[in-house]
Amino acid sequence: MTPGSEELEDLFENAPCGYLTLAPDGRISRVNQTLCDWTGYPREHFADKRVHQFLNMAGRIYFETHIAPLLRMQGFFHEFALDFVTETGDRMPVIANAAEQRSPDGGVLSTRLVIIRAADRRRYERELVEARTTATESLKGERETSELREQFIAVLGHDLRNPLAAISAGARILQRSGALVEQRELRVLDMINTTVTRMSDLIDNVLDFARGRLGGGITLSRDDRRPLEPVLERVVDELRTASPGRVIETSFEITEPVNCDRTRIGQLVSNLIGNALTHGSPDEPVRVGAKTEGGVFELWVSNAGEPIPVAAMEKLFEPFFRGDVRDSRQGLGLGLHIASQIAQAHGGSIAVTSTAEETQFVFRLPLRG
Amino acid sequence: MASVIERNNVNVRGAGERAMVFAHGFGCDQNMWRFVAPEFESDFEVVLFDHVGAGGSDLSAYDPRKYSTLSGYADDVVEIGRKLNLRGAVFVGHSVSAMIGVLASLKAPGMFGRLVLVGPSARYIDDIGYVGGFSEKQIAELLEFLEDNHMGWSAAMAPSIMGNPDRPELGEELTNSFCRTDPEIAKAFARVTFTSDNRADLPKVSVPTLILQCKEDIIASTEVGEFVHDQIRGSKMVILDATGHCPNLSAPREVVAAMQAFV
Repeated sequence: MTPGSEELEDLFENAPCGYLTLAPDGRISRVNQTLCDWTGYPREHFADKRVHQFLNMAGRIYFETHIAPLLRMQGFFHEFALDFVTETGDRMPVIANAAEQRSPDGGVLSTRLVIIRAADRRRYERELVEARTTATESLKGERETSELREQFIAVLGHDLRNPLAAISAGARILQRSGALVEQRELRVLDMINTTVTRMSDLIDNVLDFARGRLGGGITLSRDDRRPLEPVLERVVDELRTASPGRVIETSFEITEPVNCDRTRIGQLVSNLIGNALTHGSPDEPVRVGAKTEGGVFELWVSNAGEPIPVAAMEKLFEPFFRGDVRDSRQGLGLGLHIASQIAQAHGGSIAVTSTAEETQFVFRLPLRG
Repeated sequence: MASVIERNNVNVRGAGERAMVFAHGFGCDQNMWRFVAPEFESDFEVVLFDHVGAGGSDLSAYDPRKYSTLSGYADDVVEIGRKLNLRGAVFVGHSVSAMIGVLASLKAPGMFGRLVLVGPSARYIDDIGYVGGFSEKQIAELLEFLEDNHMGWSAAMAPSIMGNPDRPELGEELTNSFCRTDPEIAKAFARVTFTSDNRADLPKVSVPTLILQCKEDIIASTEVGEFVHDQIRGSKMVILDATGHCPNLSAPREVVAAMQAFV
């Protein structure tokens, strides 16, 4: 069925959108009834005027600097938002499409515009923009707060070291003076030493964590001239003292120089053993071993006891991960995280296997990187 | 730092003893010159570029402080000119780039031998004894409107509102293929442009200057063009039949003819 010309005329005049046709010089040559109704201007008011005369100032500038040039360049401009100013001076937000009708040589024959009211859409867009601004600002605020918090942790950790050193020195003086002889007094002295060691490890981990978050990362001072074994022995001894009643077995076969930061590797093994003592079965020994073989330095710590749940495996090395808290002495959940950071800083890695028989952490470091 | 050539997306075409540098105005990029520049390629070394923040320029080179004045943009023009060893070149600047060219010619005497200013305005805001075409309130409203960032800029803004990096085609569909500008930079450029005042620089211009003025230009009216004409000694003014602010697109033949008569 072909619509009659009357019907087409009616479609043009009373369509649910505004129509404008512009002559090649940009003047309005035709306007439909809908746009006249929406703007409140009679048809004659549009004759020979330019589109920008019906816009607010910002829209005028936009029309002249963006829409008009783009129309000439690409022949169309779709979905641009404008504010028409109505006869009563109110703003009427619209969305418009425009297209040029061109002659074969590329000249403009006319330009057609379709105008659709878009008050709700504009309100929605404005809300989106506001929501984005709010989100960006609150994210910025959160970041600043979190950075402050980390700086605070770094400073706090650092400041805790001094009083701890004083306690440790005091305990040493008492020990050397021989003033304490009673069994009970000596036990208290041991407890003080153990607690100082443990607290000092916690502070080291906290400081490393804060440093890592603040962008400093873990710094290494590598040295392959001095043997590593005594460092490992000393760490194990300290932990034996700190954990009376627990058995720590060692087997070291380090036959090649290991280019590493000895203090950091000490911290790594201390964290791994600490983890094994906390989570392992108290009746079974914790086994610690190290060897150089096939161009790789390997260091492992294993314990018996409940296997690590599969779900927990993925998160083991994340900061503040604490598994099932069974013991109030479990700590911050930074030990494994820092250990893996130290491994990575060396160019090595830590792998973990856990079965009903044994849970084992293995640190591997290629000897020649 | 990226080279000036990449930073400003500089394109050199054609052959000729003299160079002709085309600078686009606010709202677009070097595509603005697509109907004009090719006409000069047989006689000139034609140089096209995008201001930093527009078109194919390096957006990472956008320094809000440097580009808070037209002088910062003029420094870029001078850098491009030095890189290409320009002497006595013709500078063709549209809209705000007319004043950028004036500043560049003062910063580097000898680099530009002639200026063609298309739709220039030394100051957009009215002042005592001066008609710029806009009241201070209107420009403030425009800038506030831009800060508010709704309105017609939504076409240019769409990709960033959508902010959908997984689906870049969403942005592609919404934006138009020419004259893409980062919305934040567009806002800053609008501020620099519409609050600029270069009236005091005009009398210092000593090179032959041609002013091309459209008949009905709401951005730079005939009065504004005449002021520039009065202030630049010996300048020539041609009133084009064209209307609107972009004769380089709406009436390229007229623009080319007037330029050819001048150079």
